Amino acid sequence: MDNILSVKALKQVFSKETAIDNMNFEVKRGEIFGFLGPSGAGKTTTIKILTGQLHPTSGSALLFDVPSTKMNHPKYLKKIGVMTDNSGLYSRLSVYDNLHLYCELYSVENKRKRIDEVLEMVNLIDVKSKIVSKLSKGMLQRVTLSRALLHEPELLFLDEPTSALDPANSRHIHHGLQELNRKGTTIFLTTHDMQEAELLCDRVAFLNNGKVQLLDEPSKLRRKYSDDTLTVELVGGERRILKNGPEGAQKMYEYMSNNQVITMYSNEPTLGDIFVDVTGRSLL
Amino acid sequence: MSFSLKRVYAIFNKDIKDVSKNMFVLSTVIMPIILAFVFTQSEQVPLGTHYFIINLTFVSITVFVQGAIIAEEKEKNTLRGLMMSPATTIEIITGKSGLSALLTVISLVACMRITGYEFVNEPAIYFAFFMSLILYLAMGTLLGLLTRTVMEASLVLMPLLFVFGMGTLLLEFIANYPNLAFLEYLPNYQLQFLAETVNAGQAFTDVIGYLIVIAAWMVILCILTVVVYRKRVIDGK
Repeated sequence: MDNILSVKALKQVFSKETAIDNMNFEVKRGEIFGFLGPSGAGKTTTIKILTGQLHPTSGSALLFDVPSTKMNHPKYLKKIGVMTDNSGLYSRLSVYDNLHLYCELYSVENKRKRIDEVLEMVNLIDVKSKIVSKLSKGMLQRVTLSRALLHEPELLFLDEPTSALDPANSRHIHHGLQELNRKGTTIFLTTHDMQEAELLCDRVAFLNNGKVQLLDEPSKLRRKYSDDTLTVELVGGERRILKNGPEGAQKMYEYMSNNQVITMYSNEPTLGDIFVDVTGRSLL
Repeated sequence: MSFSLKRVYAIFNKDIKDVSKNMFVLSTVIMPIILAFVFTQSEQVPLGTHYFIINLTFVSITVFVQGAIIAEEKEKNTLRGLMMSPATTIEIITGKSGLSALLTVISLVACMRITGYEFVNEPAIYFAFFMSLILYLAMGTLLGLLTRTVMEASLVLMPLLFVFGMGTLLLEFIANYPNLAFLEYLPNYQLQFLAETVNAGQAFTDVIGYLIVIAAWMVILCILTVVVYRKRVIDGK
């Protein structure tokens, strides 16, 4: 798989504060790449650099083999979709009018059909004619997301796309994003929701203090940081932790032969546990 | 670089829908018209008064409406959405200027009808008015780009209203202070001097100097607007 995005020695300094420090990573075409970290870790700053909204202090970021500093050219802007917390909507206009404007700006064909499609995807078709100022925060977030999808971008940047959503709507959005990814859209997703990252991402990067601390597939990370143990819950409520190996297998055989096992589970860490382990920081 | 009229029209159309529900901006548009009614109470309206109303219309409508529209886009983070779309700088600025230009033309025509002002030597005056419209649109766009909120834009407008909108009143003041003579090169005075020269029956060649000064203002403000806009594109806000 070729790289759609490549970041090398990226650095961003604001006044005297270093927001991003020697950042390196690549995003493969067609993957969902999770960029995980707590608030203030540098996620949004990275998206702003990658989408040409900010020029880095040093280092480089290439998208489609083009420097991010050239990304605000119309030719490249058509290829990317961006949803960040600074993507505003026109509050006096309806949802439809907001989306229609962007259909015109991106020269989208079959505008009505496309607007209906993206609104279906974010589960908002019923509020198409509603004035934006009357929408809840979660609805606004979904309209902003639908706007980023209108022109079917090759590379989609999503900054905390489900942070204001209830679980049902988050699930709906997750399915939509997976479907979009299956059709070929590469997704760069920032989140501090580790469950969301586990569910959606092919690979994740842990960001802390402006640096990528760890980068791999979620399953590989879990295995790497696993302590190779299994917890077995026995009749009577007793719990035993068994280590992988002949001794653990022998014990397990005994418990199972005597019908003592109620349940058992692997002690693989969650991505959240790994993050805390690696950075010493919690994600919130 | 491509230029899409469709995109320009889409932005203009959006602004019409948006501003039609914005009473704050709409109420500003009425001010010069009310003023024009007040001045028609006297029998003969002098040329200075006509141009006082005309310059006030340029500042209070062209500059303010344009500034307020841009400042609101910034305040609500919608300008970033336009900047991140494939629309070019020129398409966005042209689209965003359409409504202010339309409101200015309607108000100017209404005010002139009310005060009974008629153009003499039309080409020179039309040309000067056209350039004034562009330069005040650029000034309004700058005002919006350099302020963070509509409220801040309204506050910054006050000194602009005083300097560019109070034509005749300030001219008398300037006459007593030779050090302030350079203020006569402001575009509002140049427009008024041009009209006075034309009204006195002078030829087109006699007003070229005024047209050049107004053109210089227009070019400088347009360049400044594009430079500031492009800086805003990469300011990360």
